[in-house]
Amino acid sequence: MQVLKPLALGVSLFALPGLATASALTVYSAGPGALIENLAADFTQVTGIEVNVFQSTTGQVMARLESERANPLADVVISASWESAVSLHDQGLLHEYRSPNAATVPDFLKSDHYVAQGVSALALVWNRDSDVSQPADWSDLTDAAYRNQVTMPDPAQSGAAFELLTGLLTAKGEDATWSLIDALIENDMIVPGPNARALNPVLQGAKSVVFGAVDYISLGQQAEGEAIEVIFPESGTVIAPRPMMILASTNMPSEAEQFIDFVLSEQGQARVAERYLMPSRTDIEALRPTLEELTLIEVDSEAMNAQREVILGRFREATDR
Amino acid sequence: MLTRLIRDLPQANGAGIVMLLTGAALLLLVGLPLLYVVLQAIFPGWSRGQLTGAFGLFVPLLSDPALLGLLGNTLRLGIAVVVVCALLAIPLGALRALTRVPGGIAWDVIFLIPFMIPPYIAALSWMLTLQPRGYAEQLSGLSANAFLFSFPGIVFVMVLNVFPVVYFAVSRTMMSVGGRYAAAARVSGAGGWRTFWRITLPLSTPGIAASLLLVFALTTEEFGTPATLGAQAGYKVLVTGIHERFADWPIDIPGAAVLSLLLVMLAMAAFYLQHWLVTRRSFVSQTGKPAPVERTELGLWRWPVLGLFGLVAMASVAVPILAVLATAFTGTLSGGLTLENLSLRHFEALLANRGGALQALSTSLGLAIGAALVTGVLGALVGYLVVRAHLRGKGLLDFLSLLPNAMPGIVVAVGLILAWNQTWWPIQVYNTGAMLLLAYACLLLPYPVRYASAAFRQMNENLEAAARVCGAGFFTTFQRILLPTLAPSLLVSMLLVFAIASRELVASLMVAPAGMRTVSTFVFGQFEQGSPGIGMAMSAVAVFTTTALLVALAMFSRKRLPIAG
Repeated sequence: MQVLKPLALGVSLFALPGLATASALTVYSAGPGALIENLAADFTQVTGIEVNVFQSTTGQVMARLESERANPLADVVISASWESAVSLHDQGLLHEYRSPNAATVPDFLKSDHYVAQGVSALALVWNRDSDVSQPADWSDLTDAAYRNQVTMPDPAQSGAAFELLTGLLTAKGEDATWSLIDALIENDMIVPGPNARALNPVLQGAKSVVFGAVDYISLGQQAEGEAIEVIFPESGTVIAPRPMMILASTNMPSEAEQFIDFVLSEQGQARVAERYLMPSRTDIEALRPTLEELTLIEVDSEAMNAQREVILGRFREATDR
Repeated sequence: MLTRLIRDLPQANGAGIVMLLTGAALLLLVGLPLLYVVLQAIFPGWSRGQLTGAFGLFVPLLSDPALLGLLGNTLRLGIAVVVVCALLAIPLGALRALTRVPGGIAWDVIFLIPFMIPPYIAALSWMLTLQPRGYAEQLSGLSANAFLFSFPGIVFVMVLNVFPVVYFAVSRTMMSVGGRYAAAARVSGAGGWRTFWRITLPLSTPGIAASLLLVFALTTEEFGTPATLGAQAGYKVLVTGIHERFADWPIDIPGAAVLSLLLVMLAMAAFYLQHWLVTRRSFVSQTGKPAPVERTELGLWRWPVLGLFGLVAMASVAVPILAVLATAFTGTLSGGLTLENLSLRHFEALLANRGGALQALSTSLGLAIGAALVTGVLGALVGYLVVRAHLRGKGLLDFLSLLPNAMPGIVVAVGLILAWNQTWWPIQVYNTGAMLLLAYACLLLPYPVRYASAAFRQMNENLEAAARVCGAGFFTTFQRILLPTLAPSLLVSMLLVFAIASRELVASLMVAPAGMRTVSTFVFGQFEQGSPGIGMAMSAVAVFTTTALLVALAMFSRKRLPIAG
């Protein structure tokens, strides 16, 4: 019977963890992990409501939502891609709620079904120790001095990088944007994957500049002593708001609403600011350049997202050459 | 069908029931998630409960010209890694089994470590080491950027990750073959080399073929290395294609499911090749009479042999671990390897977050032990069933037990979610830690099954017959006769399961219940948020903890643990 002992152990392992999840609010959030963990802990302290957090990338969060369609478990979802909220809403999956705390959130960052937690922007990140001089604008990087020194996150894998492409298309027009991208690729720019993978070679110095990095990660690293500079190009950049939403399938709508209220409270927004994101409320102080200080390109996201496949196809054409 | 199945089952003792239970467990663990993936591929709306548009995705996806390129790249990579692994690990394993390599068991422990380093960490470590201004350049002025981001570079890094599978299979198999038959050959006048080529190597074919099959499946399924190095090398494979469908909005689960079925078919082809190899003839070499392995003394040859072992250990263990430690102990990446940049701040951050870090570590270790036990028991039973039972459909069982190795972790995870997140299950398993155990057990079951069935193939059936004649029932026979003979292979495969489960990333990301973290999801999160230092610090802690556990295990049971040889 010795064979059965490990089996019994395995079975008991099955049974144990089931106790953890009873009657707590479930939040699925894109990174940064420290932010959502702090928010959840503060929220529990203030309201006494337990929170279970699942934190991952936007892609993973959405893949999980999609595969849980038959029996959704999340109550609140925080994504790093505005378009994902629009799409979930179009499918009728979101609970309608306008938080009273969202009064000072600009109109373009809120709707009846979702509201921004915070906002990031796209930037150039330059390694101060590199042999190339500090770039000032997107198009500087086509210069021969930056040959083989530039990385860019893959717009197919980073929603933010896709936003940047749409921003450039809006501001410069199609011809100029694609000849810029072609010139960058011609200049041996690499497109190694999502955000962190584009940034990593620049931190160590294998490359010198990221074209289109998500700013808050780099600002955080700069604050921790990495020799990098975050540059917002004067010709304009795009922002990537992070939508929060409540799923219509939630069993705990009032707790979920309280959570949204809390993230939009002064305490919650201070936590957002702490991570070098722009708080979505304009009356909360940011630790970084804010919407007013940046030159923003206004993008018609709906029209651009309709062309998503075409844009990504054209980008792939450029990189595959 | 069912009556025939029951009729075909061995009667009399408890064997029939055990086999039915084993079959059921296998179907539940592997068959169910696979079924849901197939359904998802056929019905794009399956996850939403719609049955419209059946097969609608197959034609547009499969007629995509880019797909042929992905498929070709996947095959090329798989074959290259298998060939290089064979060239590297078969000699290593044979040397370890048949000669007195100085250090003996220490090499076994060392060669388990590559398994405990997550592939994406290993790839990242090589990147940090070999890219311009990387650690190698900082220390010696050398960089090998062009090599690293190329097809040979990807093969190099992947071989270093997976060669232990072959090394352990070869050394364990040859240890058990090596004794009697080799002695007989020597008595008949064959020299050492001749014995090796004519007796030991051919008789070890099942073990070698099975492990190479695992390597092929592991390589075609692996995501971390192709994603880290392949993107820069411009080398795309099927798995990166599947992951891209999950990576960003809009998520395309049906498309990913269709591509996964392609991968499964690739593995099926490899499986039949291996099956053909090992069933053509008999490899029975264990009759139950104990025969100590006579190890050849290496004499002066021990220095080059030691050099080879050292070189492999250097590349597969020392370089990645040192790069991990360098990143963990330096304050900033841009600061480089200087004394001023030496800092404990990443470990301090880890300590400050010790609730999260400790919880992640204990979750991972507990789950890894659970997965090793579950897959060990099930693997032994399935292996027995497949080799011994006179049972229709056992080929299907064998195939089913290999399948998870061909399915990317993310697809297994989605299959598990689709299957278990249903309201009609009497016990809700979804969103508990049990999902992780299910995922690990499903993904890693192929290891014990492969190792166990290879061992059973070498075992003479007369052993069991003799036990039955002496009046032993199924359980007694299994426990007293089969298990001891099986133990060396099975235990090694369980250690592999433990090592891999303790660091599995892709499926963990998908099925970990809200509020639960494993080491790998913790580390991955740190990288995502731009804290590679903390991520590497956690990796270092995890790798050292798991290694220490294994070493302690090896020390305590030196006599009984076969890894101690």
